[in-house]
Amino acid sequence: MIQFVKNLNGKALLTAFAVTFLMLILIFLGSRNLQNFDAALITYLFGTIFAVFGITYRYTVWLQRPPTWMYFKRGFQIFLKGKIFSHLWFVSKQAVLNIGFQKFVYPRGKFRWLAHFFIAFGCVTAFAITIPLTFGWVHFVFAPGSFEIYEAHFFGFKVIEFNLGSITAFMTFHALNWSSYLVILGSLYYLRRRLTQPGVIATQNFESDLLPLILLIIISVTGLGLTYSYQFMKGFAFDFLAVTHAISVIIFLIWIPFGKFFHIIQRPAQIGALIYKKEGEEMGKAVCPHTGKEFDTKLHIDDLKIVTKELGFNFEKADGSSYLDLSPEGKRSTLAKAHLDARLKDGNLFG
Amino acid sequence: MAKLPVEIEKIIEQYGPKLNYPPKEGYHGNDEPDKVVNTHCCFCGMQCGIQLLVKDNKVVGFDPWMKFPFNEGRLCPKGVQRYMQNNHEDRLLSSIERVEGEGFRDITWDKAMDKTVSGIKRIQSTYGNDSFAMLSGVSLTNEKSYLIGKFARVALKTKNLDYNGRLCMVSAGAGNKKAFGLDRGSNNYSDLEHAEVIIVAGANISETFPTLTHWIWKARDKGAKLIVIDPRVIPLARTADLHLDVKPGTDSALYGAMLNYLVQNDLLDHDFIDNYTSGFDQTIDSVKEYSLEWAEEVTGIKKEKIKEAAELWGRAKTSFLLHARGIEHHSKGVDNVLGCINLVLATGRIGRPYCGYATITGQGNGQGGREHGHKCDQLPGNRDIENPEHRKYISEVWGIDEKDMPGKGLTAYEIIEAIHKGEIKGLLSICFNPLVSLPNSNYVREALDKLEFYACIDFFLNETARHADIVFAGSLQEEEEGTTTSAEGRVIKINKAVDPPGEARTDTSIILELAKRLGVEDKFTYENSEAIFNELRIASKGGTADYYGITYQRIVDEMGVYWPCPEIGHPGTPRLWEDKKFKTPDGKAHFNPAPYRPPGEVTDEEYPVVLTTGRVVSQYLSGTQTRRIGKLVDQYPEPLVEIHPEMAEKFGIRQRELVKVKTRRGEGIFPANIVDTIRTDTVFIPYHWPGKKSVNLLTPGTLDPISKIPEFKVCACKLEPMGEIAGDSHFSKAYQSP
Amino acid sequence: MSSDNLYNPSQEFFVDMQRCIGCRACELACAECETNGQESMIHVNYVDRAHTIQTTVQVCMHCDDPVCAIVCPADAISKDEYGIVHSANTERCIGCSNCVQACPFGVPKKEESYDLMMKCNMCYDRTSIGKKPMCATVCPSGALYFGTREEITEMRPRSTPVNSFIFGEETVSTKVFIMMPKGSKELKVF
Repeated sequence: MIQFVKNLNGKALLTAFAVTFLMLILIFLGSRNLQNFDAALITYLFGTIFAVFGITYRYTVWLQRPPTWMYFKRGFQIFLKGKIFSHLWFVSKQAVLNIGFQKFVYPRGKFRWLAHFFIAFGCVTAFAITIPLTFGWVHFVFAPGSFEIYEAHFFGFKVIEFNLGSITAFMTFHALNWSSYLVILGSLYYLRRRLTQPGVIATQNFESDLLPLILLIIISVTGLGLTYSYQFMKGFAFDFLAVTHAISVIIFLIWIPFGKFFHIIQRPAQIGALIYKKEGEEMGKAVCPHTGKEFDTKLHIDDLKIVTKELGFNFEKADGSSYLDLSPEGKRSTLAKAHLDARLKDGNLFG
Repeated sequence: MAKLPVEIEKIIEQYGPKLNYPPKEGYHGNDEPDKVVNTHCCFCGMQCGIQLLVKDNKVVGFDPWMKFPFNEGRLCPKGVQRYMQNNHEDRLLSSIERVEGEGFRDITWDKAMDKTVSGIKRIQSTYGNDSFAMLSGVSLTNEKSYLIGKFARVALKTKNLDYNGRLCMVSAGAGNKKAFGLDRGSNNYSDLEHAEVIIVAGANISETFPTLTHWIWKARDKGAKLIVIDPRVIPLARTADLHLDVKPGTDSALYGAMLNYLVQNDLLDHDFIDNYTSGFDQTIDSVKEYSLEWAEEVTGIKKEKIKEAAELWGRAKTSFLLHARGIEHHSKGVDNVLGCINLVLATGRIGRPYCGYATITGQGNGQGGREHGHKCDQLPGNRDIENPEHRKYISEVWGIDEKDMPGKGLTAYEIIEAIHKGEIKGLLSICFNPLVSLPNSNYVREALDKLEFYACIDFFLNETARHADIVFAGSLQEEEEGTTTSAEGRVIKINKAVDPPGEARTDTSIILELAKRLGVEDKFTYENSEAIFNELRIASKGGTADYYGITYQRIVDEMGVYWPCPEIGHPGTPRLWEDKKFKTPDGKAHFNPAPYRPPGEVTDEEYPVVLTTGRVVSQYLSGTQTRRIGKLVDQYPEPLVEIHPEMAEKFGIRQRELVKVKTRRGEGIFPANIVDTIRTDTVFIPYHWPGKKSVNLLTPGTLDPISKIPEFKVCACKLEPMGEIAGDSHFSKAYQSP
Repeated sequence: MSSDNLYNPSQEFFVDMQRCIGCRACELACAECETNGQESMIHVNYVDRAHTIQTTVQVCMHCDDPVCAIVCPADAISKDEYGIVHSANTERCIGCSNCVQACPFGVPKKEESYDLMMKCNMCYDRTSIGKKPMCATVCPSGALYFGTREEITEMRPRSTPVNSFIFGEETVSTKVFIMMPKGSKELKVF
């Protein structure tokens, strides 16, 4: 236990406390001193608070790793070093393509992309609805003096109003159902893939690859079950569904920092890597002394020399020349030549 | 008549070659195949064991066959991708006929047969039986090779049947027959293991027989010295103990000088020479002037190296000499082979463990296919078509009158020449793509254009078949059961994995149907491939290539049986000549004088450069199959001309600059690959490509007087840089070059 | 990783690039491996084609202390209990190429269209069920060999397996061995 406390990362702990505290203030403000807070969602609230704490802690620990920090630092340096609008445009475009549409999944397989998009879109929509509800940031009331017109309030301010029988109402009240269907479809596709593709089967494991899918399916199915239970089945098994739903959601939430779902938080770093590469290209390319060809940006190779040293790897010779100046092909050829020399020195090329 | 019916681009668009790539996550069902078929690779004489994975009558992948003793799972890139010839969009799913101005259209089997049979009958009744020729190939099984030999003689009644082995190892066959009276590699490859010295002459093993590398490396691990004779530093030569960079066309001078050195230094096995050989005195007499200095002058190899090779060879206790097309594709191919055999016989290292000699047969069934009557002068069991006893025996097996058995016909290139001269008017071909694989392809094309009727059996529309009137949709190797004989003389089983798709049929059923319609059904009724093999066993009985004791069951049980195997109880013969009883008339191994003479075409002021040709690891023969497999094409997308930097400088050629290579017969444009790994006086171009990318536009039709093999390996050329750097090889589309 | 793991730790990987004949059977066979979907993870290249026919073949050496994993900003690369360094976790990898440039053996590949790093995982789909990796199974020249230490010692009496490599000031030790002249302790590359 003492060891555990010692191992905690001070900076991360501070950041996590600060962010959690900030969030509590926002919940307090957003729910108008808790007057709009829905007490029925209290368990979800605790789950979310824990998740935010955990995510922030983990993210901060992660950022402190030398390679991550280098990208983080360079990302901001590049971003703030003028051409802000150009960068903003680039980042927004890439964010829509890569985060919004996950375009990099498409070449791996059309159906893989579609299934992933379903899950991502379903999850993001569900978060966008449930988190503000849980925090009491959003609530619905009848318009004053009316039983037909509904108003949606955000942070206590009226945002929209709509007729109860309208399509908007139908879509809004059922939005969670729609996202559940998407998540179920996507998860089933991946579950099937993970259970039938030998290559995937060989390298996957239960808790980080299958369990997340199962969890998503449980959450979505019980969520749908809640709706249909009171709508069509007079509340059949409602309590059971409610408890299962709550437990699975809370597991999901507190598991985010530790498991597969952390990639949702990590993914925006990809945009950082893209802008780093784009800017690096303008700053000049590294040329491999073996092949004589350009193989990466000079910025990347130079940063990597710093990062590897920080991590305790020294690929330099006493004269200051670095092995990292070679391209991958150059490295392979250098090794092969060294091997050939060793064989020749022995007097026998073959042995 | 047989000119292309429509412009070539249109034919390519419809029938390919187009590239086949596997889907990203593999073919459906390769993880749960319906069956796993133990069979062999269809490419090259190694005949590596391989397992094909079959789902829903499609080959969907492969798995290494760890238990087959020759290769134990090892494969080359062609073997790994061989399954991609199945499921190919270019596959002929129906027989087709030419339509002037349109190209080809599908035709029913009945009509295709009718038209072919009436074409044959019309030509034969007008010009005589021999005016209709047949060309075949030895990627076919033993059963099909045998059947075609019988079909040509009994159904077509023509003497003019020959095969693409004529471009392969006929020089070795002829040399072996002269020296040993029998045409087979004398040893299996396990005899390499403890050989002290291994000579590899004109065999780019690492590219053309990659899986044989294992056996040579194994020998080297046990301390064997490796001597490689080749004008280029081939991958095998890079690490060899000795590399003799022979000038193309001068091999026999090298062997003659080495033999003379052995005699001068008495590095001879007198006991063996005296008791088991003949012709020694005349032979050494023919080389007595061949000093090391003279050999250096002729071959371009430093005399110290020649001496070292002769010393190593002369003093070894065990040894193995391997050769292949590099010394055989010459107008003196047979002499080159005899030169090698003389070295083996002089040291008496044959017929004992780890004392071996063999040609490395190139084609899938190059060994078996050349034994059972598919050659113009041969009957089954490696019998002689002009020998009255042999004729009589086979006539009895076939149930025909010996008088009706045709005599010796023309060889493959001579058939093309006879077509060109108008002496042969009709042709049926199978498993042969002469427009790519024969030399002087402009001449071959002219010949094809003169045919009055041409029918072809193939699974893809190969470049030659584009000139055909009828193309029958035949079968791939994995679509029919049969046997082949590997380069070691090991008879092995090809198992059927799938049925021919669509309207395609097995080659055998096409031949049988044609025979029936030609009125000889009674002689061509077989229940299955095994029935054909059983007839072959009888036909070969008593011949030198005796298969009588080999059965399908034995092949499966014993992982192959080595011929000769004259009785059911006979264990087979992995190593020949252990009894020192050779199959020559006097029972002795024969030395044969092989004095040096220059190649058919030598360099001069106008054509100052030696051109030699060869192969690359990712392609097989004329590329009908391998130019359709995407990854194999990507590995080496187009033929390059390899030039030494000194020569490049002399002609002002830059790396990857397009170079026009011209000979007396034609010209072609190839990107330059400037490398130190070739002789300074020689350029090299690989041959697997068609049309304008074919090096056979340049090669000569000079033939060896005995084996009639064309001289692919040497001619004179000139180089003209075009001043333009070639684009990316991947965009050259050489695989379908018009 | 899967529960019915039959990985056999007594079987090890041995490389001798001087035996390589550049045929690329390994490269095509690697693409058939189920874990990498028709992408080849092995590298075969000419060392200097203008002057020599020498080729080299490179599989992942599976370092004891894998630089690729340590320089990964996304924690996407992991080493398992058998010492196999796995290909990047698809959901974590952000395609930055740190691993590609830091690996002293030039092994990881960035697959641009996937924005994903991929590398050799010693044919985990095969080795985890007791089979040999595809490349070492098909290799016709013994440049790649997968088997026991006893087997290789008997087959190659003039060589010693070495798994220590020097790059500048750094010494890297690996799970995969390279065959060196008898008695060698390490290979100084740079």
